[in-house]
Amino acid sequence: MTQQPPHRYLGKARKSVDGIEKVTGRARYAGDVYLPGMLHGKLALSMYAHARIVRIDTAAAKAIPGVVAVLTAHDLPVRQHQPSSRQTTTLARDVVRYRGEPVALVLATHPAAAEDAVAALQIDYEPLPAVVTVEAALDPAAPVIWPQGAPRADADLTAAHAAVARGEEQNGHTVSNVHERKRFSRGDAHTALAAADVVVAGTYRTSIVHQGYLEPHAVVADVDPIRKQITLYTSTQGQFGVRDEVARLLGLRPSQVTVVPMTVGGGFGAKYGILEPLAAAAAMAVGRPVRIVLDRSEDFLTTTPSPASTITLKLGATREGILTALVAEIVIDNGVYPFTLGGIMSTLLGGYYRCPNVQIDVVEVLTHKPQAGAYRAPGAPQVTFALESSIDELAHRLGLDPLELRMRNAATTGDPMGNNDPWPSMGLTKVLEVAAAHPLWRNRTPGSGVGMAIGGWPCGMSPAAAVCRVDTDGIVRVHVGSVDISGVNSSFVLVAAEILGVPPEQVEIVAGDTRSGPFAGPSGGSQITYSVTGAVAATAREARRQLLEIAADMLEARIDDLDIREGEVLVRGVPGRSLPIGEVARRAQEQPGGPGPIVGEGRAAPAENAPGFVAHIVQVAVDQETGRVQPLRYVAIQDVGFPLNPLMVEGQIHGGAVQGIGWALHEALRYDERGELLTASLMDYTLPRAADVPSIEAVLVTNPAPNGPFGARGVGEPPITAGAAAIANAIRDATGARIYELPMRDEIVFQAIRQVSKEECL
Amino acid sequence: MIPAPFDYYAPNSLAEALTLLQQHGDDAKILAGGHSLLPAMKLRLASPAILIDINKISELRGIKVNGTVEIGALTTWSAIEQDAALAKACPVMAEAVSLIGDIQVRNRGTIGGSLAHADPAADMPAVVLALDAHIHVEGPNGPRTIAATDFFTDMLSTALEPGEIITSITFNSLGPGEGAAYAKFPHPASRYAIVGAAAYVKMENGQVTACRVAITGAGPKAERQPAVEQALIGTDGNADAIAAAAAHAGEGMDMLGDIHASEEYRRAMCKVYTKRALLKAVERAR
Ligand SMILES: Cc1cc2nc3c(=O)[nH]c(=O)nc-3n(C[C@H](O)[C@H](O)[C@H](O)COP(=O)(O)OP(=O)(O)OC[C@H]3O[C@@H](n4cnc5c(N)ncnc54)[C@H](O)[C@@H]3O)c2cc1C
Repeated sequence: MTQQPPHRYLGKARKSVDGIEKVTGRARYAGDVYLPGMLHGKLALSMYAHARIVRIDTAAAKAIPGVVAVLTAHDLPVRQHQPSSRQTTTLARDVVRYRGEPVALVLATHPAAAEDAVAALQIDYEPLPAVVTVEAALDPAAPVIWPQGAPRADADLTAAHAAVARGEEQNGHTVSNVHERKRFSRGDAHTALAAADVVVAGTYRTSIVHQGYLEPHAVVADVDPIRKQITLYTSTQGQFGVRDEVARLLGLRPSQVTVVPMTVGGGFGAKYGILEPLAAAAAMAVGRPVRIVLDRSEDFLTTTPSPASTITLKLGATREGILTALVAEIVIDNGVYPFTLGGIMSTLLGGYYRCPNVQIDVVEVLTHKPQAGAYRAPGAPQVTFALESSIDELAHRLGLDPLELRMRNAATTGDPMGNNDPWPSMGLTKVLEVAAAHPLWRNRTPGSGVGMAIGGWPCGMSPAAAVCRVDTDGIVRVHVGSVDISGVNSSFVLVAAEILGVPPEQVEIVAGDTRSGPFAGPSGGSQITYSVTGAVAATAREARRQLLEIAADMLEARIDDLDIREGEVLVRGVPGRSLPIGEVARRAQEQPGGPGPIVGEGRAAPAENAPGFVAHIVQVAVDQETGRVQPLRYVAIQDVGFPLNPLMVEGQIHGGAVQGIGWALHEALRYDERGELLTASLMDYTLPRAADVPSIEAVLVTNPAPNGPFGARGVGEPPITAGAAAIANAIRDATGARIYELPMRDEIVFQAIRQVSKEECL
Repeated sequence: MIPAPFDYYAPNSLAEALTLLQQHGDDAKILAGGHSLLPAMKLRLASPAILIDINKISELRGIKVNGTVEIGALTTWSAIEQDAALAKACPVMAEAVSLIGDIQVRNRGTIGGSLAHADPAADMPAVVLALDAHIHVEGPNGPRTIAATDFFTDMLSTALEPGEIITSITFNSLGPGEGAAYAKFPHPASRYAIVGAAAYVKMENGQVTACRVAITGAGPKAERQPAVEQALIGTDGNADAIAAAAAHAGEGMDMLGDIHASEEYRRAMCKVYTKRALLKAVERAR
């Protein structure tokens, strides 16, 4: 890399550009949009996991004052009648296949009338046998959910998250509830396992986890019935994808649909379009704007949580602690429509460590539950829990320091991932070195409840463009088409400021809708900073070039002698000769025969992703009499490449660590044997709260990505990966009990502790 | 999350409230803090046609301490938590109340509403049982007093007759040699009690001479624990004696089981939390 002068703004902590709006309640979310003539929509959700809709009697509902329409599937102008995913769902036709599937939509002039009308709807169901659990779905005698074959997913959501896949298709042609079988392998894992000096084996179970965003799904659809145009104000992570899907479902051209991404109150993978097709179709049907805002229970019932998994894992190693074999089966409960995390899960499971012999079998299963979806580093917390718990057990078995064992086997750049592609530049050994030196690890004593785990994420990338304009008052506006779900705009500001030489307060990021915004990929897969920063930097460079070109004329100096500092163009070595950039912009706008107004364009399309690795060290206290676990200290070490805005990076690490604690100890959507959701409110679905979370120390490791902007890597997803395993290992240290199930609820830990004391008595 | 339509009355006096209750019978519900009733209405688990808001009836509000303690039914948790005289007379009240919900809940929720609602996981039922409190009510047939031990009859059911309103709760101040404590194992999500144990002990000459223990959360209703009480009386209240007595906790009780805590686990937690409450109560009594 070329020698760079020290940065003026980049790499220095700077507060979030929209923090004030958010904490003072002035930020505008989708649910804040009120349009003239707008109708309030309320969903009637299926009460059954599987049933035939016999009859929908809307008379009583329609009689309620204020009710304008009661829509069922037959009333909607939708092209695709059989959904292939939750994203392509509007209203159920004839059969419902999960509790919470939308069946009807009431539209009323005010929300209370809509709610009364939903209560007054008479929907007769004929219950059908429901296949609720994976065990039931795999039973050869079980009813097949899709006897004609599982609907093909049109979009692979995981593609938004990381470029992975491969693996050999193992599907036979019999129709069953298994929609995909794949094998990922290298070497001869079974022979190596048989020959290993030491083998540890375990079956790990993880639960269905909701993304837990603060803002439930919300959308307002506006319609121009004459031009047949739809405008959607929505809470989304990717406006372009939503536009395309809505257009396809409604039989419109994409340019007939405008998607305006509003401030997002958290998405974490769940906001790629759930209500938008229905709201758009309903607005088309009645010719008026339609607003649908889910309440918390509806959001739990009808969105796309992270899938449950059962991971059976066997590790073989030499006495010296060199991994020789990894054999795994991953069974994933995807709910009603196909969803495929098996590829990324295998890529990580077979990739964290150098291991010559790997065999991972993936079984993707369908059940009568809501379709599974992406959640921050989709699949990673599950496999990391299994692998890092097993590695810890292996260390115990071998009498080795668990961190030392990891160091001996850690993958480095060029080693194969689980899909046998080589890892791009990655820094697992670097974070392990920092972890080894951390006092919480170094000074721990056995039984003090300290555990650690590593985790990682490939991180995504996508092409993006940006436009930069300079106004006459010196304000620089950078137009992007990406959605800021994680603070990316607060880094873009610094990038533009750095390159242009203006104070960050003079830079504004303008996030466009699908009409006005330059294209960017969706905000998933930790790709936005990595992908869009390049475009922002390029457009800022172009604007700078244009500024200098005009300023050279105004200052009668050579371009090479000019610099921009604090928003002033100056001639190097000539004090007093300077011009504010706003004046330069004015000249550009007014000068006949000049180059014209300042407008930069920038584009970027990164060619190689930059994985992010973490090492988390946790200390817990376990109440030995109850099994309740309280994390006391949490150290999150992460290779962030280069932190463009360290405050935003730390914020991402804090949030990811807290969600990791949720995976570890608290969160699970649980269904009864009929497929009824038992945790449909925050009175039963347990999110970690302030009192459950210790102070989190974020340690940023700077290991520049060769192709990342200024060396930056994606940082959003890696910090959620390791928490569950680190806490499991801390519990093992505190109690001697190994927990094989997430979340590690009080009662499960309690039973495991009892088991250990029983064994000790023998 | 919007209740079904209802009519609303806000009477100025207890007499007026009682008349309204009698007029409307089963269609009407008293509204106190609304923190049990309104969530149920928003979920449409309850759809009373009429709400009788008693918040204007100021005589139902307030705390009097004078050898005995009298707490008006409409007194909020935060008023109970912050009352200096009560904190001296019976510190277990503030201890238990501080564990109820969060600040917003405590600013609205009332002691009368909690007892009338008789949620199996509510905290206060165990405390009033351990304090041997009395619950005073007014009804169509005039006032009457119900002992806490007779008050909780089943899940969400009490000895209140139709048309009756709780007016106040009374119990004795704790004197020298008396100690009480509340220990709570909160539900991981709702923070109601998975198990809550309230304990009262009296020590004379180094001996436990009286003991009352009650458990909430574990079963359909809060219940006294006679086997625990009997086992502790006559001992010197040392840790072993307490553990031995606490081992009887939950005996003869129906246990609830759910996704957060099985029956077996709740039974085990009854013992743990009874022990913890007794340890504190004895220490305070010494
Ligand atoms: C988020 C949340 C968390 C909570 N956490 C806890 C907790 O940890 N522990 C706990 O114990 N409770 C908890 N609660 C419940 C809270 O304490 C309630 O406020 C209380 O149980 C009921 O009191 P209220 O005044 O709100 O009664 P309301 O909701 O107004 O009434 C409840 C019932 O009692 C009847 N009623 C009310 N007052 C009288 C009266 N004077 N005479 C006769 N009938 C009457 C009403 O008609 C109604 O049926 C929580 C509530 C919420 C919303």
